[in-house]
Amino acid sequence: MQHAVELEELGVQIKEASRFLEKAGEQLSQRIIGQHEVIRRIFIAMLVNGHILLEGVPGLAKTLIIRTFAAAMNLKFQRIQFTPDMLPADLIGTMIYNPKDMEFYPRKGPVFANVILADEINRSPAKVQSALLEAMQEHQVTIGSQTFPLQEPFMVLATQNPIEHEGTYILPEAQVDRFMMKILVDYPSYDEELEIMLQSATTASELPVLPVVQPHDISRARALIDRIYVDPRVQRYIVDLVVATRKPAQYGMANLETMIEYGASPRASIFLLLAAKAHAFLQHRAYITPEDVKAIAYDTLRHRIRPGYEAEADNIKPDDIIRQILQHVQVP
Amino acid sequence: MTGFPRQLLFLLLVLLPISFSSACCGAERRVRPEITVRVTPDSVLVGDRIRCTITVHHSEREIAVLEGFDRSDTVAEQPFELISRKHSSSLPLSGAGKDAFEFELAVFGTGRQSLPSFTVVLRDTAGKVTKKIPCQPSASVFVRALTDSTMHDLRPVKPPLKPSIPSLLIISVIVWVFGVAGVVLLLLFLLKRTVRNSAERVDSGQVAQRKLRKLGSSLSAGMPPHECYEELSNIMRSFLENHYRISALEAVTQEIERDLKKLGVAGFESIMNLLKQADLVKFADSRPDVEESRQSLHKASEVIRTTRAQKDEG
Repeated sequence: MQHAVELEELGVQIKEASRFLEKAGEQLSQRIIGQHEVIRRIFIAMLVNGHILLEGVPGLAKTLIIRTFAAAMNLKFQRIQFTPDMLPADLIGTMIYNPKDMEFYPRKGPVFANVILADEINRSPAKVQSALLEAMQEHQVTIGSQTFPLQEPFMVLATQNPIEHEGTYILPEAQVDRFMMKILVDYPSYDEELEIMLQSATTASELPVLPVVQPHDISRARALIDRIYVDPRVQRYIVDLVVATRKPAQYGMANLETMIEYGASPRASIFLLLAAKAHAFLQHRAYITPEDVKAIAYDTLRHRIRPGYEAEADNIKPDDIIRQILQHVQVP
Repeated sequence: MTGFPRQLLFLLLVLLPISFSSACCGAERRVRPEITVRVTPDSVLVGDRIRCTITVHHSEREIAVLEGFDRSDTVAEQPFELISRKHSSSLPLSGAGKDAFEFELAVFGTGRQSLPSFTVVLRDTAGKVTKKIPCQPSASVFVRALTDSTMHDLRPVKPPLKPSIPSLLIISVIVWVFGVAGVVLLLLFLLKRTVRNSAERVDSGQVAQRKLRKLGSSLSAGMPPHECYEELSNIMRSFLENHYRISALEAVTQEIERDLKKLGVAGFESIMNLLKQADLVKFADSRPDVEESRQSLHKASEVIRTTRAQKDEG
C-alpha cells in the first residue's frame, strides 16, 4: 500500500513536470500540421537520451519538425548535410595550427550542439557515419589527443530517403542498432495537406518559435522517468517480445523462423523499456503498462529485425513480423 | 506293225523333253539358301536408330528362323540396343520362299561398328532342322560422336524404358490414395464442425460466472487480493474473447476498449473500469483489501449477467 501511495505521488509530480512538453507541443503545433506521432516519438527519445532515425521521402517537414523542436526546447541546433566527399573532421572538428604561438588549437565541428540533424546520413561513407555514431554512443568527441564531452542533452536525428539508394552508403546493422527508434514519416492526410498548403503558400516570414523550456526541465523529467515503476510482469513481457524476434517458434510462431534472418539485440530490450517509461511519462503515469510497450514496439524494433530471404521474397516487412509477434505474445 | 513303233517313237520324242524339263525343274525347286543383310543408313550419330533388314531366300518347303541376332547377350555385347523387330514371309516365285527380318536398332559407341553375328536355321514343314547357316554380316555402320555443332536437338541416350509396374495398377493406387485422403478430410471437417458446435453451445457467460464463484470462495479461504484481481482480469478477458470474438487475451486494455467501442457494447464503461482496476493492481503495485476485491467480483458478475441479457434481447 505504501508503494501505491508513492506511485500516486510520483504521478502527481510527473504531471507537474511534464507541463513543459505541453508548452513545447503548442509551439510545434503552430508550425507543424499533423505528424503528431513523429513529434511524440521525438519527445520520448529526448526524455530518455535516445537518438532517432527518420525515414521518409523528401518534403515531409522532417527538417522543419526538428528545427522547430530544438527552438521550442531552447536547445542548440545544428543541421549537417551528409555528402559523399565529407570527412570526419567536417563533423567533429580538427586541430588548427596557430603560427602566432606555434601551437595547435582544436576547432570544434558542428557536432557540438544539443540537437543534430544528420540529413541524409547514408550519403556519407562509413568513416563519417562512425564518427557521428561514436559521439552518439559515448557523448564525447576526441579531436587530436583531446577528448571533449558533448553538451547535454545531446540528441541525433538522422534522416534517410527510403526510395533513392544510388550513391548511398547503407548504414551497417551495428550502427543502425544504436538508434533508439526508427520512425517512418508518412504523408499527411488530405485535410492536413490542405492546411499545410494554405499555411505555407505565403510570402510572409515564418512565425517565430518561442523557447519555452529551461534546461533543468529536461533533467528533472529524466530523474522522474528513472523512478517510474516497472512491474516484473511487464519486464518479462518486454523480454518476451525481444526473444520472440530471435526464437519465434518458442512463442508458437514457427512460420516466422525462416522469415527472420536475425532478431533484435539486447539493446532493443533496454530501449524498449526506456521508451515505454517515457511513453508512460507522457501519459502522466508513474508505472508502465503493456500498452506503453506496444505503443513504441514498432519504432523500437523495426530496424533491429532483419527479414530473411523468404520474407523479402514474399514482401514481408519488419512491421508485419512485429505485428504478428505482438498478436501472439500473451499480454500479462 | 511298222506304224506302231513309229508312233511310239514319236511319243517318246515328245515326252522325253517334257520329262527332262520337269526333272530339271524339280532340281531347280531345291533352291540354295541365300542370305542378304542391308543396313540403312550406314552413317549415324550416337543414339540414332538404324534399320537392319536380313532377307533369307530358300525353297518353298522350308521355313527360315533367325537365331542369335536378337538375343539380349548378343546384342548387349555390341553397341546396339534392339528397339523393335518384324518378320514377314512370302513366296516370290513358285518353288522359292523368302523370309524378311527387319530390326530397328539404336546405335551407341563411336567409329565403325559391325553388326552382331547370327545363325539362319532352316526347317522343313515337319519342323525338322534341315540346315544351320552361321553368318557374320559384312555390313556395318559408322557412328559419329556428338559434338557441339552436331547437337541440334536432344537425342535419347537410351531408349525409353517401359514401366515395370503396370499403369493400371498405378492408376488404381492413385485413385485409392485420393479416396482415402478425401475420406480423412471429410471426417476432419465433420469433427471440427461438431467440436465448434459443442463449443458454441457452452455459454461463455456461464463459464465466467462459475469461475467468479470459485474465485470468491478462494478469496474467502485467504487468497491474497492482488492475486484475485489478476485472476479476475483473466476471467473477464476470456469472457470477452469468447462472447464478442475479439482477441482479448493478447490485447492490452486500450485495445479491448477500442474493440468494444467499435462493437457498440452497451455498458462497456463498467467492463473497462474493472480491467483498469485490475491493471492498477497488476502493474502499479496497487494493493486493494479483501472487501474491495469482493466488490469487484460482484461488479464483474453483474457486468457479465447484464451483457448476456443484452445479447439475448438482441
